Amino acid sequence: MSNNTKGKISTPGMENPFSGMTNASMLSGEEQYDDNTVKILPDVWILKIGGQSIMDRGKSAVYPIVEELLQAKKQGIKFILGVGGGTRARHAYAMGLDIGMPTGALAKIGASIPIQNGRMLQMLMAHEGAIMAYHDDFEKLPLYLNTGCLPIMSGMPPFEFWEKSPMVGRIPQNRTDAGVYLLSEFFGAKGIIYIKDEDGLYTADPKKDPDATLIENANAKDLLASGQDDLIIERVVLEYMQRARHTHEIRIVNGMKKGQLLSALQGEDVGSVIKAK
Amino acid sequence: MNNGETKGRIHVESDLMRESLVSSALNAASEKGNIRRMAPDVHFIAIGGQSIMDRGSEALFPLVDEIVRLKEKYKIVLGVGGGARIRHTYAIGRDLGLPVGGLARIMGGVEEQNRDMLQFLLAPHGGITFVKDHFQDLPMFLNGGLIPVCIGQPPYHIWEPPPEKGFLPENGSDVGLFLMAELMGAASMIYIKDVDGIHTDDPYKNEAATLIPELTVENMKSRSLPDSPFEEELLNCLETSRLVREVRLINGLEPEQLGRALAGEDVGSKLMGSKSRTLD
Repeated sequence: MSNNTKGKISTPGMENPFSGMTNASMLSGEEQYDDNTVKILPDVWILKIGGQSIMDRGKSAVYPIVEELLQAKKQGIKFILGVGGGTRARHAYAMGLDIGMPTGALAKIGASIPIQNGRMLQMLMAHEGAIMAYHDDFEKLPLYLNTGCLPIMSGMPPFEFWEKSPMVGRIPQNRTDAGVYLLSEFFGAKGIIYIKDEDGLYTADPKKDPDATLIENANAKDLLASGQDDLIIERVVLEYMQRARHTHEIRIVNGMKKGQLLSALQGEDVGSVIKAK
Repeated sequence: MNNGETKGRIHVESDLMRESLVSSALNAASEKGNIRRMAPDVHFIAIGGQSIMDRGSEALFPLVDEIVRLKEKYKIVLGVGGGARIRHTYAIGRDLGLPVGGLARIMGGVEEQNRDMLQFLLAPHGGITFVKDHFQDLPMFLNGGLIPVCIGQPPYHIWEPPPEKGFLPENGSDVGLFLMAELMGAASMIYIKDVDGIHTDDPYKNEAATLIPELTVENMKSRSLPDSPFEEELLNCLETSRLVREVRLINGLEPEQLGRALAGEDVGSKLMGSKSRTLD
């Protein structure tokens, strides 16, 4: 502990293992605590509906998934639904880059589109209790879930203006995959499932490369090291998974294949899984 | 604008249409182009929680007087850290087993107290609280001669990413205020703590510690200084930033240092990003 306490306002009872430490040295004050952190909502699934992969296809893709989600809810499966942005977010990023916006400003404008998509889904499922849960509402999630509601959240994390400039380029690195992943990690959720329009991770973008093959058992560490240009999931998710306390695997299901999502929620091994290491 | 349909998706034409934003090649392409600055004449000043605020009137009154004097000449945004009560919050929160996002969610409350105290002192001179939802009102506040006071912590809340080491949030008030300065393309980012700058050792423990007037992040990391006055993550942010490529650390117990720093003098320590990046 620093001796630098002269002239400081002090109150009895404030002394603790971090007292007087600089920000950088506080790690050493942690030694006395155990490594367990509580799970906030351990029986709740975190699901994410892709923006470009699902929402932008319109009803042909969205209606069957909505039906499957409502079926799951009727079976008593609890979940929070996160939503991606998609092609309008890309258009906004393209414009923002063109007019010289920094990363934080791009993240701020990118945040509007997942909310549009979330509201669309809320309208489609309102009759079964769908409700928008904004970033500041998350402490009310237990209420929504226990009263039979279906909370829908923007997938974007609330970083916005505070999104860091990436090492390369200007595109915000924490987008909707990352936002829902961090929700799952915080909640210590039952599991996280990304609903996209592919069976999982391929060696390249299968929409562009006919030789791309499905990678059935991937791990985050190898994937990041592989140098593969394109991935089905944001890179930061693969980084976070390796330091996570709770969410050490993510599942990707193909929302275009009827029944895959429901099977995954019932514990079947469908789609593909990426593990931390 | 042309709307095209590809494989069942309704697209809006743009450079990024159908592209995966994850693609390394695409990200590399977005490196080019100038970034415009929103507030190139504004100085962001961080006031330490433990180092300044917790000293109370003894440290705050002279510093506030100096800030009031300097705001006639400079556009200033102030940010505050949490200090002793943040550490107490961490101690209780860790003992209860709260995850990192839980700690990040509750720590802001302490900074809000400090923000309100600083605003209280500055109120007769135009001090106002400056909150997230009013960031885009900044030009109005500054043109009105006001002194916006905000909290430093970024609003990551429960979305605070898992840290590389340990269980505490990596993104504290040093990082948050830096990110604001970077977003705004600010004129400078100045940290006010209770040391003259970055030293070879903790100057309060070791009398032989000497001041390092200028160093890069790489220098700082390779020296593995025993008691860095900065959050570790601030160093990472300085390596990737585009607009604000250096920060200065000065001593708030000698308030005249602030005027010298704002005038661009070499006072305290200057910490710089190691690699050059495209600047506007």
